[in-house]
Amino acid sequence: MFRRLPETASDSAEVTLWVDGEPQQVGATLSVAAALLQQRGWAEYRLHHDGTPRAPLCMMGVCHDCLITIDGEPNRQGCLVIVKDGMRIETQMPAAQPTPGASTG
Amino acid sequence: MSENPTSSQVAEVAIIGAGPSGLTAATRLTKAGLKPVVFDLNAAPGGQVYRQVESPQADLRVTGIDYRLGQRVVEAFRRARVDYRPDSRVWWVQRVDAGFELGVLHEGRSAVWRARRLILCHGAMERPFPFPGWQLPGVMTAGAAQILLKQGGLLPEDAPILVGSGPLIYLLGWQYLQAGHPPTCILDLTPRLQWRLPLRQPGKAWHARGYLFKGLKMMLALKRAGVAIERDIEALEAIGDKVLEQIRYRQRGHWKQRPASLLLSHVGVMPETHLTRSLGLTHRWHAEQQSFLPVRDDTLSADENLWVVGDGAAIGGAVNAMREGTLSALEVIASYHGLTKKERHERDGLRRERARDLCARQLLDAMFLPSLNIDAMPEETIICRCEALTRGDLDQAISDGAEGPNQLKAFTRCGMGPCQGRQCSLNATLLLSRRLAQTPDQIGQWQIRPPVQTITLGELATSSMVENRVT
Ligand SMILES: Cc1cc2nc3c(=O)[nH]c(=O)nc-3n(C[C@H](O)[C@H](O)[C@H](O)COP(=O)(O)OP(=O)(O)OC[C@H]3O[C@@H](n4cnc5c(N)ncnc54)[C@H](O)[C@@H]3O)c2cc1C
Ligand code: FES
Repeated sequence: MFRRLPETASDSAEVTLWVDGEPQQVGATLSVAAALLQQRGWAEYRLHHDGTPRAPLCMMGVCHDCLITIDGEPNRQGCLVIVKDGMRIETQMPAAQPTPGASTG
Repeated sequence: MSENPTSSQVAEVAIIGAGPSGLTAATRLTKAGLKPVVFDLNAAPGGQVYRQVESPQADLRVTGIDYRLGQRVVEAFRRARVDYRPDSRVWWVQRVDAGFELGVLHEGRSAVWRARRLILCHGAMERPFPFPGWQLPGVMTAGAAQILLKQGGLLPEDAPILVGSGPLIYLLGWQYLQAGHPPTCILDLTPRLQWRLPLRQPGKAWHARGYLFKGLKMMLALKRAGVAIERDIEALEAIGDKVLEQIRYRQRGHWKQRPASLLLSHVGVMPETHLTRSLGLTHRWHAEQQSFLPVRDDTLSADENLWVVGDGAAIGGAVNAMREGTLSALEVIASYHGLTKKERHERDGLRRERARDLCARQLLDAMFLPSLNIDAMPEETIICRCEALTRGDLDQAISDGAEGPNQLKAFTRCGMGPCQGRQCSLNATLLLSRRLAQTPDQIGQWQIRPPVQTITLGELATSSMVENRVT
């Protein structure tokens, strides 16, 4: 998990994000991926097609490990989209997925 | 503003990137009465180094005094009232008769722009650093952690471990220390011999003294604060079931293990070559920077009416990026109406400063030369993260007869995932180069075709004019 510097937390605007249906107050300058890393950490960010968990690596648009569903549109790069009030985020962690190691080819 | 995707918009000069190089290029062009348009995929100007500089989320005590220079550069850019387009991703570029055409994606819509002259200021990326387990959540790059700090004042909840080589590792460690939250330790992969280079190259060390003193100061501060700096690290593994739990590393022949929740890795930066490769520009292997660089002439031009400057062309750092930005602007001005005596003087001065700085850079490149050999990584090391292909998978394809990057890609799907090979292309070439005993130039890299940025189907549908051209 990440937390905000005390001085940032006290004087920075916030917006409401809906993450998997739950409202979350997050800093207005954050990208979607940054907001998730702060609120939830990296453990349940995304399940890769080979069944292994993945989380953002680069935060600058290179690795594509931050793919996430934003306002209904899947596979957006969470690190490149800045949060907006009312934005709906669905983490790509479907409950029924192949067990780790299974390959989808 | 409503943009009709089927009609193109026109600019005298198009600039891709609003980092130090793009900002200075645009500001200088405007001062000379020209009207550039600047596209940047970020929401605010500053690029990598000066991210979020207009509304800093951490104070200068943490981000460092260099940030102030960034503030001045962005202020000058704002004063110049440049046609600046944030949140705009350039997802294809091509040469047309009268210059260039660009596909620019903004708020879900794609527009076509035309420009006679093009300055690429798109910057660098961190060198991909594969080791067993680097795909685990809990492993991030040091650059990513720094982006979180600049963008939102975010610090890791638990003290992280930093690993790798290059100035950014120590800068990040120092920034965390300034924020009152130092890392547990720094595992330094730089071979000891390379640390002694400044003593053996005093001339270059003199030119590089500013960088060296800054690095030394940070290192001392970290040591004084009790951060362990472990050297002679020869191998590294991240271990965990669903997330990172432990790291293992070999130091002077002995394996050691440590619990870890967050590992921040970094082995330097290299130019991002997707744009330059998609334009078909020639790239050459640069042994000192261990990267492919687009070939430029003395005027920083890579082709007719096309300049490539800043860290997207060769790693030179922020100050060099600004010089090159201004130099490219002066070349563009020269191509319009020649240079006045004063402008020539300005250009010559900048060229001299650049040459001096590049001399210092050679020393830094040599000191932080990445020591990892991709072919010596354990075979289970993932090289292509998107397709989850290991070093062993790629070696199998090479022994099955893959003789070059394109064949390797066809045999394995390496580089065909969403990142379009950004994380594996260089390492695939290096592996082929070792196995087939050819130089990286002989092996080459696979060809890049548009889109060079990820675009969704919905966005693609807005670009009717483009479809028949690039799909
Ligand atoms: C993660 C990271 C962290 C770094 N941190 C530091 C640091 O703390 N201190 C330091 O001195 N140096 C740092 N550097 C080195 C950095 O490369 C230079 O200092 C400097 O930022 C280079 O300036 P530039 O203008 O060449 O490119 P950049 O500053 O990288 O700017 C390039 C800009 O172009 C944009 N862009 C790229 N492609 C497109 C496209 N297709 N469409 C639209 N926009 C695009 C990018 O979003 C970016 O804003 C860092 C590099 C990286 C990769
Ligand atoms: S975190 Fe790497 S592309 Fe988003």
